[in-house]
Amino acid sequence: MNVLELEGVRKRYGRRDALLDVDLSVPEGSTIGLLGPNGAGKTTALRLLLGFSRPTAGQVRVQGLDPSDPKSRESLGYLPERMSLPARMTVASVMGLHAGLAGLTRSEARRAIDAALECTGIGDRADDRVGGLSKGLLQRVGFAQALLGEPRVLLLDEPTSGLDPIGVRDAREWIGAVRERGCTVLLSSHGLSEVERVCDHVAILHEGRVVTAGAVDDVVAEGETLEDAFVRWVRA
Amino acid sequence: MSAVTNFRLLAAEAVQDAIRRRVVAAIAAVSVLSLLGIDGCTSCAGGSIVVNGESSELPQIAEATGMITFSVLALWCIALAGVLSAEHLTQPLDDGSATLSLARPVGRGAFVFARLAGALAIAFATGLVLLGATAALLNVRSGLAPGPALAGVGAFAVGAVTVAALAMALSLAIGRTANVLFVFALVAAISLSNVLSLAGREPGGALGWLDALGPPLASSVAVAVAGWVPQVELSADPADLVFRSVLWAGGSLVVLWACFSRVELGRQAP
Repeated sequence: MNVLELEGVRKRYGRRDALLDVDLSVPEGSTIGLLGPNGAGKTTALRLLLGFSRPTAGQVRVQGLDPSDPKSRESLGYLPERMSLPARMTVASVMGLHAGLAGLTRSEARRAIDAALECTGIGDRADDRVGGLSKGLLQRVGFAQALLGEPRVLLLDEPTSGLDPIGVRDAREWIGAVRERGCTVLLSSHGLSEVERVCDHVAILHEGRVVTAGAVDDVVAEGETLEDAFVRWVRA
Repeated sequence: MSAVTNFRLLAAEAVQDAIRRRVVAAIAAVSVLSLLGIDGCTSCAGGSIVVNGESSELPQIAEATGMITFSVLALWCIALAGVLSAEHLTQPLDDGSATLSLARPVGRGAFVFARLAGALAIAFATGLVLLGATAALLNVRSGLAPGPALAGVGAFAVGAVTVAALAMALSLAIGRTANVLFVFALVAAISLSNVLSLAGREPGGALGWLDALGPPLASSVAVAVAGWVPQVELSADPADLVFRSVLWAGGSLVVLWACFSRVELGRQAP
């Protein structure tokens, strides 16, 4: 079963097409890296999947449902490219709100919050105000809220942005852990080496079109790195 | 996960968010000054005054000043609801926290009405303190019945919902300063047209249209507390005012929901 699907999707802003005839299917349990140069349409694709925006043409399905249906986002975690929260909220209140919105009961929420904060290494920061956190710590809060309640689908937009090398390695471990329990992961990134390490599938977007998609081994030719393949497909 | 539970969680957060805003401290300061003013306005309860040789009993003057004071405070609180709503939705949209909440199984309706509830909670609390204090002092000092004040608070609440929802919907299209100016201009224009009409002078042009078809913000409050001044006859049909007030409040909520449903969230230049 495909958990995430875009069929003939076109998204037009004014006179410019951000996405054009995009077909993309993400099977359950796979980890796909969405690659592309700046302005290729990666974030637009994520916004369509989350129901933040409607396609000009074509169909988008998330867990078999139209993204305008809130149920399509049940058991879905999302980490935005720019993690931003009201500065005066504490980490605990952010987590409490999102645990509630994720549909967890009070006791489930308490366990899930503790687990997510411990997993992302910010267990001792629960009472800190968000405004006082560094960019890297804020990104860890973003990961923690995305991982709440063991989601079945995880959408990550530039997940390692702002993380130091240890944070990047930790993020790789967190993604690996959710992969192991069968979570479907879509990761939009410029970090080709990260994608190569954690993803089993890739899709390369260029100027709003999917220029290639498939298993990493199918996209990357013999003797090539993912970076070589990326440059080849984009220049083609 | 029900929409009601989502609304409850988001509304609680929206109220806390509203309380954290600096403008609330200013509202509290203005409210304290208003309470002192109310105390002064309602302190004369006995005796008589003579103006141009004509004697008036102070209780009669208290009735009229009570009605005017109550109505002006209600209109101020209605405008306040609009001012608070002018950025209570755009703020989480701008800082990105709205998209994080809406990436959960949360409908747009639950989110936008929760934000509206957050702004209205502050406006209602301020209204209840100011209007309640006015009604209590008028009752204790001048013996004015609390019934009309209750109806007046109801009229204020419905008017506040209308103005807040319209200001919030408008905030999706224009900036905060322009929106705040619009709120004050709207409340002032409607109040002027309503007062002219209640006094039996037909307002013309746009004011006439506002009085006949617009939300009866001032009329509904004034007519509600007109029971305090038996010698005054206001030219307005209470049933029509109630009908139009509720229709405008409901219509404003629908407009707000429709506008927010079409918003492209987190849009970046392609």
